[in-house]
Formats: sequence, C-alpha cells, structure tokens
Amino acid sequence: MYTVRLLGACALALACTTALASNYPNRPIEIIVPAPAGGGTDSVARMLNQYLEPELKQSAAIINVAGGGGAIGVNQVSRARPDGYTLLSTWNSPITTVPHMQRVQYSYDSLTPITSISQSAYTLCVKPDFPADTAEEFLTELQNNPSRYTYGNDGVGGTMRLAAERIFAAYDIQARAIPFGGAGETLQNFLGGHIDIYGGSIPPVLPYAQDGQAKCLIVTSASDNPALPQASGLEALGHPELETVLWRMMLGPNGMSEAHATVIADAVARALENPELLEFLAKQGEVPVLMRGEDLRAALKNESEALGELLGQLGLKRN
Amino acid sequence: MFDAMLHAFGVIMAPASMLSMLVGTLAGILIGALPGLNPVMAIALMLPLTYSFDPLIALGLIAGIYNGSMYGGAIPAILLKIPGTPSAIATTFDGYPMTRKGMGGLALKTACWSSAVGGTVSAIALMTLAPPLAQMTLAFGPTEYFWVAVFGLTSIAVLVGGDLFKGMLAALLGILIGLVGVDTLSGEERFTFDNLYLIGGFPLMVVLIGLYAVPPILEMAEKQNSAHYDPANFRTHKSSKALQLIRDYWRTWSKSSIIGVCVGILPGAGGNLAALLSYNEAKRNAKEPESFGQGNPVGVAAAECGNSADNASSMIPALTLGIPGNLIAALVLGALMIHGLQPGPRLFTDSADIVFGFIWQLLLTSLLLFVLGGMLATRLFAQVLRLPSTLLVPTTLVLMSIGVYTINGNTTDLYVMLGFGLIGYLLNRMDFPLAPIVLGVLLGPMAESNFRLSMLISQNDWTLFFTRPISQGIIALLLIVLGSQALKYYRRKCGG
Repeated sequence: MYTVRLLGACALALACTTALASNYPNRPIEIIVPAPAGGGTDSVARMLNQYLEPELKQSAAIINVAGGGGAIGVNQVSRARPDGYTLLSTWNSPITTVPHMQRVQYSYDSLTPITSISQSAYTLCVKPDFPADTAEEFLTELQNNPSRYTYGNDGVGGTMRLAAERIFAAYDIQARAIPFGGAGETLQNFLGGHIDIYGGSIPPVLPYAQDGQAKCLIVTSASDNPALPQASGLEALGHPELETVLWRMMLGPNGMSEAHATVIADAVARALENPELLEFLAKQGEVPVLMRGEDLRAALKNESEALGELLGQLGLKRN
Repeated sequence: MFDAMLHAFGVIMAPASMLSMLVGTLAGILIGALPGLNPVMAIALMLPLTYSFDPLIALGLIAGIYNGSMYGGAIPAILLKIPGTPSAIATTFDGYPMTRKGMGGLALKTACWSSAVGGTVSAIALMTLAPPLAQMTLAFGPTEYFWVAVFGLTSIAVLVGGDLFKGMLAALLGILIGLVGVDTLSGEERFTFDNLYLIGGFPLMVVLIGLYAVPPILEMAEKQNSAHYDPANFRTHKSSKALQLIRDYWRTWSKSSIIGVCVGILPGAGGNLAALLSYNEAKRNAKEPESFGQGNPVGVAAAECGNSADNASSMIPALTLGIPGNLIAALVLGALMIHGLQPGPRLFTDSADIVFGFIWQLLLTSLLLFVLGGMLATRLFAQVLRLPSTLLVPTTLVLMSIGVYTINGNTTDLYVMLGFGLIGYLLNRMDFPLAPIVLGVLLGPMAESNFRLSMLISQNDWTLFFTRPISQGIIALLLIVLGSQALKYYRRKCGG
C-alpha cells in the first residue's frame, strides 16, 4: 500500500515537473538576501517583493542569510536546487569583489543571471572651504598634494573604496583611505572634521550638499546625478569606463532554466513600473536598471575582472 | 519649537497611534523576555507591513518595541539568570540573587521602574537637548572613541570582585573572541582558519546569548526537578512602595540616566555598554561594594536605568544628523524615508509633527512601562517559575535556538551558541567572572580599530591622543576613577 502511495507521489511530482515551465511558479519561492534584516539590500528586496508577489501570483519569502560579506548567503544559493524556487537577491560586492578576497565556492559564472534591479552611485564630497569647486579642480588639488588628504570609505574591500581607487589610479592620485564601518560613520567623521573627504552613498550626505555644508564634486557613475548639480559623472571627466556603482540584482543557482529566469525577470520588470516602488528607490538614491541574461553575465564578468585587477594593485587580492 | 512639540502631542493622541504604542510595548516586553528574540529583528520584520500606514503608527510600534524590550529583557534575567537581550546581562548580576533571596517581586518592580525612568529621561533629553548633543557626537572622532573604549575597559577592575587574575583572563578571552574575523583596517583575516563562517567574526548577539543565557539553563538542568515558584516572593512588601523606591534609587537613577544618554549619543556603543558602565559606577560609588552581586537592588536599578536611557538618546544622531547610531536607528531612518521624509539636519523643522510625535511616543511608551510592566511581569511572567525544570529547561532552550536562528538564518550560529554556552558553563564552574568577557568582546575591537584609525589619520603622530580637549577630558575622568579605586584599596589595606 505504502509503495503504491509512494509511486503515486512520484508520478505526481514528475507530472508537476513537466508542467512546471507553463505554470511556474506554482508554490512559494524563497528569496535569499545575503545581508542582515534592516540593511539597504534587505529593505530594497523586501519592498520589491511586495510588488513582485502579485506579478508572480505566488508568495515569496525573503530569507536573510548574513555573514562573510554576503558570501554565506550566495554560497547557499549556488548549492541550492536550480528548480527556480530558491533565488538570490544581492548587491554586487559578494559576486564581483568577495571571490577575489576570500575562498568561496562560487564565482560570477557559476550562478544563473536573472535580472539586475537598480543601481546607485557613490559620491566624493568636501567641506565648503576646500580649494576646489569642480571635479577637475578637485582632482588637480589631490594630484598636487599626494598623501595629504584623507578620504573616508565603507571599508577596505568595499565597493566605495574600489570606486574611488579606480578614479585615483587613472589620475595618478595618492589619497589616504580611512576605512570606516559604513556611510553613516564616514559622514559623522566628515562633518566632525576628522577626515577631509566624504566617500560614500549619496542619500546620507544629500541634505548637507543642499544646505551648502558639503560640496559633492564627483559621482562614480558614468552619468551625472541631477540631485548633485555640482558633481561630475565619469562620462563628463572622459572616463566612463571607470564607472563603479552599487547595484542590485537577482540571480539563481547554476543550471536554472532560462524559461524560469525569464518569468522572474519579466515580473521584476513589471514590478518596477509601479510609481510607489520607483519613488521608494529614488528616496534611496537608486535608479532602476534592467539588464538580463547574457548582458547581465557580461556586466558581472567585466566588473569582476576590473575589480580583481585593482584589488591586486592594492594588495588585497587573495585568490 | 514649543508649539511644534505641543502640536505633535495632539497628533499622536489619535487612537491609531495610541493603539500602536500599546501593542508595540506589549510586543516589546514579550520579545525582550524571550531570550534570542531581539527588537532589531522584530522591527525589521514588521516595517514592511507598515509601508501603507501613517508613519506615526509605524514609529509608535518601533518606540514601543524598543522601550518594551529593554525592560522585557530584565524579566528572565531576574527570574532565571537568563538575560532576555544582551543589554540585560548586567541585570542578572544582582537580579537573580534577589530572586534567590526571595526578593524577586521587588527586583521586577525595581527593573520596571528603573527602565521607565531611564527611558523617560532619555526621551526628554532627545526632545530638549538634541541639537547640542548632536554636536557632541560630531566632536567624537576615532581618538575620542579610543579613549572611551579604554575607559570602559578599565571598569573591569571594578567589576571583577575577588580574583583580579581570573578577571583579567576573562577580559582577555573576550578580546580574543572579538579579534576573530577580517581585520577592518587591513583586510587581513585573523583566526579564521579559512572558514567562511568566521570571516565576519563571531556574531556578537550569538556569542553573548551563548555565554550568558545557556549556562544558567545548564545549571537549571543539573538541579533536582523542582518548581522555583514561591508566592511569598512576589507579594508586594513595604519596601516596594513608590515613594520608598524613589527615595532609594534617585541617586542611582540620575547617574545611570546620564551615563545611558551619553553612551546613546555615541554611535556604535549600545545599550549593553550603558548598562555595564552604570552598574559599574553604582558599585564603585557604593558604601559597601561587596554587597553587589549578592542581590543588591541598586545594581538592578543602575543596569536597567542605564540600558533604557540609551534608547531615545541613540536616536539623537539619527534624527538630527541623519547618522544612524545603531540598527534600530537605521530602521527608523528607513521608515522615515519610505514615508517620504529626508533624514538630515532639516528633519526637525521640515517634519516637526513626525519627529516630535516619535519623541512623544518614545516618552509615552516609557511611561506605559509603569503600568504594563508591573501588571505583566509580576502577574504573568512570574508564573514561569511554577514550571518544573524538566519543562522549563527544554522549552527555554528551544525558544532560544529559534531566536538565534532568526538573527542570521544560519544553523552554524546554533552550534556556536552551544559552544560558547559550554565555555561559559565551565568558566562559571571555575569561578571566572563572566562580566569582563562582554566588555572585552565589545571594547577590545573598538579600542583597536579606533587606535589604528587615529594613527592612520594623524600619519602615526601619537601626540594626537593627548592634545585634543575631549580626549584630555576622558583621560582626566579615567585617572579619577582609577585613582579613587587605588586610594580605596590602600586605605582598606592600611586601615584594616
């Protein structure tokens, strides 16, 4: 009797699997966020999820698996069954930076690219009395005074530091990197006058830039940022290839079917048409960016290689 | 500004906001009382549900959970020696001995009143003194943080009772635990043995729950199967009348409130440090320091008042500068941004109703503790002691494991918790004091990284540590505390 039931269950499971492509997803999805609850990545994932669920007509649970700079959560997804019910919602550092610095068992090409979600640039700001009012003057001042100025950043191997170092390397600039725990800590030390240059995400420093208590002169995206009119993007400086930003994406385990990836990517694209969600992203200083499939893989490859080279120059590369 | 304050008060008196504060405070007490569950997790999970609500409903819930959990953590700390949240570690020192001496009711009442007082003072400081206090936050650079950490570490000398050697060893063990993981300044890995789990270091919450909450459970399991409940324990006796409490504790309350508020405005320090420093100061200044750790109610009052006074003041850098000092402040900023408010220097003027409303909510939820805490704790939670340990031990362990698992969603955390639990149990057995460990874990890395940040900024000019006025102030304070301690020691030696 038991065997018959078991066989029946197997048959049912098989039937479901074959029918999957057409009615995927037909049960709740787990979305792993490799960061603790309450952070930026987590809140974007949770907010997006609110609009994603109605599009998928399925519930999706956000599961926070923090630790190892995001590596633990990514690792977990890379080893999950590629049935489309375990997905990863991450920012770029665990994929393009962490594998160079730690021994992890995944790389950008061992995950299935689904879609990118949004991106936000970092900015470099100085106090109003700093002897520069444009990006060019700022870079010249730094060039002329090697090792004089300190800039705060989000940590040794953090994307913000890498974004700044890429620009500095192109201009042959020596500035002293002071690694803090995050943009909040950097802002505190910048406003308190303990460091010369703020390096971090835009939203914390934005009100100070608007009040004239800070001059933000560079954004690390290729394009300019309308919220910071005094700052130049890298395109304006003639170096669009140096763009290094924080961006978010959804990935799946290796071997996830293309049809499933398309279902998710389509749903994300439709979710990102909601004005409330767009407004939320704008408040966080993020703009939606939709790249999928091979384009996304190529973007990850380019970034991973460029950052790997830079980490090597900084003496931070381990693998 | 006064008008804005009054107007905001009217806004939060709306029924929905009142209800959210009530629900939040009740939920907070429960979350705090269950070891492993913590307010950060609860608030992070609850926030997305409030996106569509009025911001003051979300903020009322946050205020309630935050303040409620600070007191809630004291309940198992007093009744079972299990700190419900890491901030309640210092509460176990005297709270549990009080229960053993048959003064559990008084201990709970003391904790409740002290939490309420600390929270209230802190909210008033936030309401009236936020801008100048925020300037103080900015004046503290890495050098000052280094001295604060050193100041905290010296308090180990006061915290360790008898055996200085064992105390120092315990502190060093704490520092060692804190060292594990990627060094934030060089990116170099320390004691990670190529293990992915250890790269970020041991998660603080998991270590603290393991060290402080697991050993009491193991000890409970050792004892004969008996219920601990004694109704005489929880009858209100004379010494717990309101006036008497105020007379007994006003000194401790004022000092602990100030300590809590000061720790709160420094991003990154946190409620457990505030509680330990307050406890320490109460012990240092007492006529009979030996009575601490034996069930002195002043110890409970100091710890609970200190950790709650950290709460509202930790919102000062967040609300005035847009700099979140801890995870809960970051969540509050997130909630404000979701509702279209821009954190930063203009928040107080641009969104006065919301900001002052939130401050009122922090104040009212503290006051709510007077009512809810007394009713809930003594009437409801004390019943837990009726359970025989055969039921109590496994139930607590399971609840704790669930709580710890929810922090990072990582099963390795559970083994780490158990591992540190065994270490804590063994150290207890060998009469090592556990308090210095927590100070080591918290302050060791803080001292180290800020020392090196200062040296990076000054390009290895060490005079920086002695030339800045605030640093000099902290050094002076340090010398006074150490000097008075040494003086006491010699007087006792020569006199006795």
